[in-house]
Amino acid sequence: MMSEVVLRTENLFYKYPSRQDYALLDVSLEIKKGEFVAIIGQNGSGKTTLVKHFNGLLKPTRGQVIVEGQDTKDIPTSELARSVGYVFQNPDHQIFADSVKEEVVFGPKNLGYDEERIEAAYQRVIQEMDLEGFDDEMPFQLSRGQRQRLAVASVLAMEPTILMVDEPTTGQDWKESMALMKLVKQLNDRGHTCIVTTHSMNLVSLFAKRVIVMREAQVFMDGSTQEVFSQVEQIKNAGIKPPEVYFLARDLLPEFNLDRPLTPEILADLLLTH
Amino acid sequence: MPIIELEQVSFTYKEGSKPALTGIDLEINEGEFVGIIGPTGAGKTTLCWAMIGVVPQILRGEFDGRVEVKGLPSNTTPVAQIAQVIGLVQQDAEAQLLMTDIEKEITFPLENLSIPRHEIDRRMNYVLDLVKLRENRQRHPFYLSGGQKQRVAVAAVLAMEPDVLVLDEATSELDPVGAEEIHNLAGDLKQKGKTIIMVEHNIDELARHADRIIVMDQGKIMRNAPTREVLSDVDFLISLGIYPPQVTQVAYTLMKESGKHFDELPITLEEGEAVFSAMREA
Repeated sequence: MMSEVVLRTENLFYKYPSRQDYALLDVSLEIKKGEFVAIIGQNGSGKTTLVKHFNGLLKPTRGQVIVEGQDTKDIPTSELARSVGYVFQNPDHQIFADSVKEEVVFGPKNLGYDEERIEAAYQRVIQEMDLEGFDDEMPFQLSRGQRQRLAVASVLAMEPTILMVDEPTTGQDWKESMALMKLVKQLNDRGHTCIVTTHSMNLVSLFAKRVIVMREAQVFMDGSTQEVFSQVEQIKNAGIKPPEVYFLARDLLPEFNLDRPLTPEILADLLLTH
Repeated sequence: MPIIELEQVSFTYKEGSKPALTGIDLEINEGEFVGIIGPTGAGKTTLCWAMIGVVPQILRGEFDGRVEVKGLPSNTTPVAQIAQVIGLVQQDAEAQLLMTDIEKEITFPLENLSIPRHEIDRRMNYVLDLVKLRENRQRHPFYLSGGQKQRVAVAAVLAMEPDVLVLDEATSELDPVGAEEIHNLAGDLKQKGKTIIMVEHNIDELARHADRIIVMDQGKIMRNAPTREVLSDVDFLISLGIYPPQVTQVAYTLMKESGKHFDELPITLEEGEAVFSAMREA
């Protein structure tokens, strides 16, 4: 089955007004509905500039960005929130309202959804995010995990097709990053398209099915997670070091063609059976 | 010989409801490379600040116990004096850089200490070689990669010639290759006799260089043992939400699920390759 393309860039160029060089140089790519994509690369490779085009924070200098059939040049950034939800790495950078309900309905209200739709969205997301019964609670009295789910709930209430998560590891430990990524995975399982930018290759390997590697303002590699990480030497040129299991697989199972991303458990199994 | 000693150190921030550190006993020997790991809120950064005297001298609160750095009590010795023994590099490389080129970044603090010009030049050349940024010396930090910026921050601290270098999550905003650069630099500095204390989330890299690892949780030291011993306790690390090195996890899975025997669990890639090749040949 051919999945529908939800996001497309066509010969996208971008130059920051203050800089000489292009931050994006002729980037053309397609992301389909339901994909789980990680965008990785060195600091300064253009990955943040790229994802800022997806939610309209930046508009192309040249070329096009098409989100759900619409050119981002033609729609205000605030309207793009209907299509693209942006989950902050730290929930406390996002949460601002005095009650859980106010926080969640703020986005849909701003987008002009009617009362009925807002109420339905609210009931749905607090159930999905396991936040029932907290309606009037102050967000800052919730636990860290609950605040994280609240932040995701308020993005989901706008019913975006695409969810973006920017660096889920900053200021968080492994357990907290994993909790956020597991939440994102559940949403991906329900059909949301998920796009993550991160420096944690272990997280990428555990969750993403496709990896786009940026280098010097261009797409350097684009393929399945296992295809990209298996090229342990080439990918170094983009400042990336794959998880250790890919080095072990290269040296101990050189003939083996990986059909899915590697975890320590999968590699242990392959070492016994191949 | 211990260069840093902590005895029964407890600390609660002025605004804090619960202690950030509780009953910390710790000795760090000259020339050692010590890794500190643990979940957020474990007290890792507070521990670093207690060593350099920022806690309790600048960040105030209820302080109890004894911290001595090269014999100086760090809760009463001026922080500027302790800074000549311990240098601290933090997470945000950008926030630590002030000047318009790398040379100035390194020489400015030295000029403030009225160190003679020829001595400043000697130190600058030495640290620029150490962090491999000699060709870039006149560049604006803006044009450097994240790893290079963090190396400038390390160079500026090293130019003060401290005995101890503390890196508090200094790699967490860097891409994997940038992070590796900092870890390799820390490893080189240990070879040159510096004492290194590294607070890290990146356990794979720490496994290659650290002599000893301290695991903290909720203001307490949970483990304080040689690196291999700590990293081999896979279940314990996972229970604290810490992701052990993948090679160690592979060996642990083989041991637990398939009854394979390893004399010791590998903790680095090189060890893993050796151990797993041997297993497959047998």
